[in-house]
Amino acid sequence: MTDVSTAEIALRTEDVWKIYPQEPEDVEAVRGVSLEVREGDFMTMAGPSGSGKTTLLNMLGGLTRPTRGRIWVRDLEITELSNKELARLRLESIGFVFQAFNLLPVLSALENAEFSLLLRGVPAKERHERVHALFEEIGLEGLADRKPARLSGGQQQRVAVARAVVGKPALVLADEPTANLDSHTSDALLGVMERLNHEHGTTFLFSTHDPRVMERAHRRVTLVDGQIASDERD
Amino acid sequence: MRRTPTLLRLASRGVLREARRSLLTSSAMALGLALLMFSRSLADGGHEDWINTGVRMGSGHVLFQAPGFRESRSLDDRLSGDEAEAALASLAALDERLAPLATTVRLSTVGLASSASSALPVMIDGVDPVAESGFSHAAEAVIEGRYLEPDDRLSAYVGTGVAERLDLSLGSRFVLTAQSTSGDIEGQLVRVVGVFRTGLPEVDEGLVHISISTARSWLGAEGAATTVGAILPASSVVDEVVSAVRSDIAVRSNFGEDDVRVLSWQEAYPELDAAVRIDDYGDYVFHGILFAIVALAVLNTVLMAVLYRKREFGVLQALGLTPAETGLVVFVEGLLLTALAGVAGIILGVAVTWGFFSDGLDFSFFMDEEFTFSGIVMDPVIVPEFRMVHLFQSFVSIAVVGISASIYPAYHATKIDVGEALKFE
Repeated sequence: MTDVSTAEIALRTEDVWKIYPQEPEDVEAVRGVSLEVREGDFMTMAGPSGSGKTTLLNMLGGLTRPTRGRIWVRDLEITELSNKELARLRLESIGFVFQAFNLLPVLSALENAEFSLLLRGVPAKERHERVHALFEEIGLEGLADRKPARLSGGQQQRVAVARAVVGKPALVLADEPTANLDSHTSDALLGVMERLNHEHGTTFLFSTHDPRVMERAHRRVTLVDGQIASDERD
Repeated sequence: MRRTPTLLRLASRGVLREARRSLLTSSAMALGLALLMFSRSLADGGHEDWINTGVRMGSGHVLFQAPGFRESRSLDDRLSGDEAEAALASLAALDERLAPLATTVRLSTVGLASSASSALPVMIDGVDPVAESGFSHAAEAVIEGRYLEPDDRLSAYVGTGVAERLDLSLGSRFVLTAQSTSGDIEGQLVRVVGVFRTGLPEVDEGLVHISISTARSWLGAEGAATTVGAILPASSVVDEVVSAVRSDIAVRSNFGEDDVRVLSWQEAYPELDAAVRIDDYGDYVFHGILFAIVALAVLNTVLMAVLYRKREFGVLQALGLTPAETGLVVFVEGLLLTALAGVAGIILGVAVTWGFFSDGLDFSFFMDEEFTFSGIVMDPVIVPEFRMVHLFQSFVSIAVVGISASIYPAYHATKIDVGEALKFE
């Protein structure tokens, strides 16, 4: 397990704001958030609906641009990157796990999981070896050729996790990853991610209000009205 | 470039995944293409029939005349024997592919036909009976008696209208009067050996054929001709033939445009040319409307597919595809649908056109009587004709429709808000 206190910074924000222009009054979804996430962190970002969790997560992942403020992934400031550079950043440094799994329906489980490696030009043999090893580790043996429609919710989310971590990103951003799963499946999935965090040092940042996720996290940030209300570390 | 196979795979699987949508979209395009091919080949077949009838009713696809004859119709503007021979020699020198199916030499003038009961202005064509019988539509339209024969000296072949108005029957004698090359008015007694009916009133009531040897001696124009005409294998080779015979006649016999004028059928029969062009424009408008409808249908389905798959495209971008690559996936999907539709459309178009209508489409059901148009009698049976250039144009048209209809959805896919697209609903 990584010693987080001495680890490198995986992500850093400085006074990040997201304001949506709206009549009669603009909506301030995220208000001046400054945050540091270290390599190996296993942390949650909780808060009520509308507190700005997903908006902040999208900005951290380079999916949405902040209205103002600065964001760094490792040493790279991403705020001023072009769309093409942001796409490259997402490909190489960030993994995503979504509430709705969001697997590509036209690809098999294996093809979904290896997608980022495929885009990076990793040779087929290496791709397959890495994905098969990961599938074995997270309990997806024998399901490589199945299309998402033929997988259960838990299996789909495991494939999504495999897709997020297979490229060894700087961090994995997971938006309500257990919201669509039953408690047993959620526990199993969280176990998989915990193990990846322990054994590989993969950094996880969850947006959630699932108490089971928060219980397992080492650090819990709470957002209220777009601002950090608390930041607790075990 | 290394991502191209991945993008192609995503696009092809996208097409296959939405099989019903893909099938509907490509069916609309394929039907449009098949309809275009059928309608285009029907129009081409119809036009070729018009032209063929028109040039056989007149003086051929390519004509040689003295400058000014077309305007004056006077024997003063005639080809000398040498010039007529040079014209025939230039036609004989053409490649086998361009070689005429039939040629004719005519000495034509306007004159008066008089019988005991009446008189009528007519066009008098002095013709070689053998050459003319394989050339002229009028020669084939005999309804009574026979066409002229080589030994006929004082025989005349007249339109049914001429026979009726002059009260002539087979064996009747009447007098043709015209101005000779010396300027004198000369008369020639002839006897009716055949009556024809083309269906065109201006021809049936105004044309008389006599032997060219009779015409030459009667009008004092030994060896001369007013027109040398040729029927070609197809109207599409006319420009090539005109250009070839123009240079050949200049080189071989040293005759220039001031001596022998070479005319294409378009120049000789501008009304027929205009009729074909107008019909073509009508077809283009029809095809334009057809393709606009097909394009809107394709645009609608492809755009709906993009909107429906917004989340999928958001995921692709979250995973590292650039907006341009996402648009490319949509665009390639459109191209694949177009290619699918193109192949299906061509097969369908060929099958419909040749499979069902290889013997021609009979429109006589819609025509109670003979239908004349721009100086020709329309054949109620139209045989579709494939022209490679129009087949190619049809395919290009459907490709343009497919590509155009894919551009906006592809652009739309590049502009999606990834954060919004990924929101859970």
